[in-house]
Amino acid sequence: MRYIPNTEEQKMEMLKEIGVSSFEELIKDVPANLRLKEKLNIPEAIPESELEDKIYHLAQKNSDFFLMKPLVGAGAYRHYIPEAEKFLLQREEFWTCYTPYQPELSQGTLQSIFEYQSYISRLTQMEVVIPSIYDGASATGEAALMALRLTHKNKIIVSNLLHPHYRKTLKTYVEPHNPEIIELPYRDGLVDLKKLADLLDEEVAAVIIQSPNFFGGIERVAEISEMVHTKNKDILLIQVIAESMSLGILKAPGEMKVDIVAGNTQSFGMDLNYGGPYNACLATRKQYIRQLPGRIVGETVDVEGRRVFVMTLRAREQDIRREKATSNICSNHNLNVTASNIYLSLLGTEGLYQISLINTRAAHYLEKLLLKSGKFDRVFDYPFYNEFVLNYRGDTAIISKKLLENNFIPPLKIDPFDPEKSLKNALLFAVTEVLSREEQNKVANILCE
Amino acid sequence: MKLILEKGISGRDGYSLPQDLFEEIKAEECLPEYAISKDKKKLSEVSEVDVIRHFTKLSKLNYGLDDGFYPLGSCTMKYNPKINEKLASLSNFVYAHPLAPEETVQGSLEIIYHLNQLLGEITGMDEYTMAPAAGAHGELTGVLIMRKYFVDRQEPRHKMLIPDSAHGTNPASAAMAGFQVVEVKSNERGTIDLKELAKLMDQDTVGLMLTNPNTVGLYDEGIEKIEKIIHSKGGLLYYDGANLNASLGIIRPGDAGFDIVHLNLHKTFSTPHGGGGPGAGVIGVKKGLIPYLPTPLVAWDSVKKRYYWKEVGEKSIGMVRSFWANFPVLVKTYAWILSMGPDGLYNASETSIINANYILAKLKEYYKPVYDRYCGHECTLTGKEYKKYGVKTLDIAKRLMDYGIHPPTIYFPHFEPYAEETIMIEPPESESKEVLDRFIEIMIKISEEAKTEPELLTTAPHLTPIRRVDEILAVKRAILTYDDELKLKDELKYREQDIDF
Repeated sequence: MRYIPNTEEQKMEMLKEIGVSSFEELIKDVPANLRLKEKLNIPEAIPESELEDKIYHLAQKNSDFFLMKPLVGAGAYRHYIPEAEKFLLQREEFWTCYTPYQPELSQGTLQSIFEYQSYISRLTQMEVVIPSIYDGASATGEAALMALRLTHKNKIIVSNLLHPHYRKTLKTYVEPHNPEIIELPYRDGLVDLKKLADLLDEEVAAVIIQSPNFFGGIERVAEISEMVHTKNKDILLIQVIAESMSLGILKAPGEMKVDIVAGNTQSFGMDLNYGGPYNACLATRKQYIRQLPGRIVGETVDVEGRRVFVMTLRAREQDIRREKATSNICSNHNLNVTASNIYLSLLGTEGLYQISLINTRAAHYLEKLLLKSGKFDRVFDYPFYNEFVLNYRGDTAIISKKLLENNFIPPLKIDPFDPEKSLKNALLFAVTEVLSREEQNKVANILCE
Repeated sequence: MKLILEKGISGRDGYSLPQDLFEEIKAEECLPEYAISKDKKKLSEVSEVDVIRHFTKLSKLNYGLDDGFYPLGSCTMKYNPKINEKLASLSNFVYAHPLAPEETVQGSLEIIYHLNQLLGEITGMDEYTMAPAAGAHGELTGVLIMRKYFVDRQEPRHKMLIPDSAHGTNPASAAMAGFQVVEVKSNERGTIDLKELAKLMDQDTVGLMLTNPNTVGLYDEGIEKIEKIIHSKGGLLYYDGANLNASLGIIRPGDAGFDIVHLNLHKTFSTPHGGGGPGAGVIGVKKGLIPYLPTPLVAWDSVKKRYYWKEVGEKSIGMVRSFWANFPVLVKTYAWILSMGPDGLYNASETSIINANYILAKLKEYYKPVYDRYCGHECTLTGKEYKKYGVKTLDIAKRLMDYGIHPPTIYFPHFEPYAEETIMIEPPESESKEVLDRFIEIMIKISEEAKTEPELLTTAPHLTPIRRVDEILAVKRAILTYDDELKLKDELKYREQDIDF
């Protein structure tokens, strides 16, 4: 076997050195009646050439997704990823190494994480950044648990325009701790502020909103923040961000007095990959540092005085604190941190701003185009970033089929995801910079003919 | 080394923008004033060339598995086959949107469906969820399933038994699921003390989380009795798959009575660790627990002849993440199993067990093992003999770096009175006898150095890109971003050569 270098002769030689006559002697502690009597009932090994063939054929059973531009986002966005990033990520030094517990052999990973923390801190205007939780949904769960620990209160108000998967994950994460979860309804595509004012009381640990929200709407975060903190300055406002690219143009959460940011960073250099692996950051103020879950990298010096980096503030983590740890998280999505770091470095100050701007403009271009046709109606009168909801006057199944035939992944039929079940014929569109004007015109033609 | 933020110059760019900027549309007309950031957020301003050089240089400060031996205990740092990387990055997989209609992703769904069957056969379980993103995420999923099972039966069980030798993630996961952790002591043979277990297991206890072979690398010979103790009191048995590399084709956790199994695909199943992920921590269960799995699961519609996502139902614990799985990790796992076949999998476990016992036999005279018996796929030695020379296990580990070898896992497991100054060595099947012989030779040399030149060890490493770091200072200063550093610029006074090494 090409991945197992030792020959049968070598194995025999080694058994002899160990002082046993057979391999069986080494595993005598495995109860005999539990030993497998026959070999595993799985297909016999195939050679590499056949393997390649087999998986290529399986891939062919998918659509040709490279050519299929998505009109759907909803927490996963196709952006262009420069080849320089993909090329660098393939370096085995980044790919095949372990978690950087040994700083002397891991400065590459450690410095990269530190750089990323620096970037995200600037983008969010938050002081500390946990670089990697698995994804936006699990990061939202962790943020909520953190809020329960910090406030010792038991009520969480959650916008029902938080991504439906995030809402479900949040519930799974916090359920064992029996908090009261109150769904905050929406009004005209944004959080219902009046309702929020009614719901706020002294028992509230956290208010969780997403902005841009699941419908793409840009929440009045500063106003919400003011309202929440006036009620009680200890209530934590958690802003979830599913489309992190929006940070290029939108106001930073820190500027709007958000307490914790749970940001899905897939848009920063991660492929769609049919849903993962993505990554998320948790950003907050330094005063909450002891309650943060997960790994963080800090700067220090080595014995020769060089500036170096190391995993730090580790007394929160599971391998040291066991059941008293702030979370069980161990392996995270560190390679995706480096992916984002490379991606953001390539974009730079101007690039990030421009891409964010193009996403905004392109989405509004398509919305105008569709509205003009008379086949679509606005559902909400709300400001949006790069996703928007429109009602279709005809049969959505027919246009979905037509879009597929023309190599577009259709927009999301919102009905099954709508928390208030009032949007029967509504579609959630997403537009990014990968959709050219020509392609958008084509989409409009298909949808409106 | 200089940070990327310290490089470049204003106005330089590393990205080509689309030609059409949709300039006729004005952002101010699309976005309300309350939403727009006044200033552009400051990142680096570097060219593509700068980026390539910076990250290539950074990469060279890392030590990867392809650089050499990586004997980290309980981490299974085995070779990551290159063909699998290529197959996982086929464009029909990579560009697939998670909400693309099911009929467009039949290939991806078929892989998930078949992988479920393969993993089921390998471990003796009935159904897998591919959702968990990492081992600990799988553990959380698993213990939440246990919780839901008892809630459903209206049994208010609230305690979880966990051996003192378990990974820290086990108690942390149990605590996240709201359980009170009860530690089970190990006996003088390094395995579970059955008497103690029988005493602790009661009607208030959900069950036991166990790694087998355990974290010291020993098969628990009492596994059948353990199973009886837990099940006779109505509890569930959870298998931490961190050490499955000792079991392929030899023993299946399902046959041993485990109800829930988590597998680290990035350990046993050869997918790369990525400097701490992404991997995958899939969870397998026995039939009776399928209704509690996270939703949804891939199923086959025999009428329509296609794969689809099926909701699990109201007993499901819900979702543990957005979307479905760390899909490329599943492709690599699938490809690896197909390449290995049943004989290859058995060979992997057999070879890794022989490798570990070979190291144990050759080094036990120099580094006293915690237990004097054969081990599974990893062996646990100690460096306590060298304390009298002022040398700690940490020093031995650091000295190994000078010889071009990544240190083993140290100070884990750590439980008195048996395990102290531990060195846990795991030489997976992808390491040859020559590599092990060289490692053994170096370890013996270091044991001599410990006696004759202890300062060589206590000041090690000497030949790495950087040397020992001040971890206490890192905590004290808490410089966690470049802007933190800038605030302390006068105080820090780094010289150019201290940075650009």
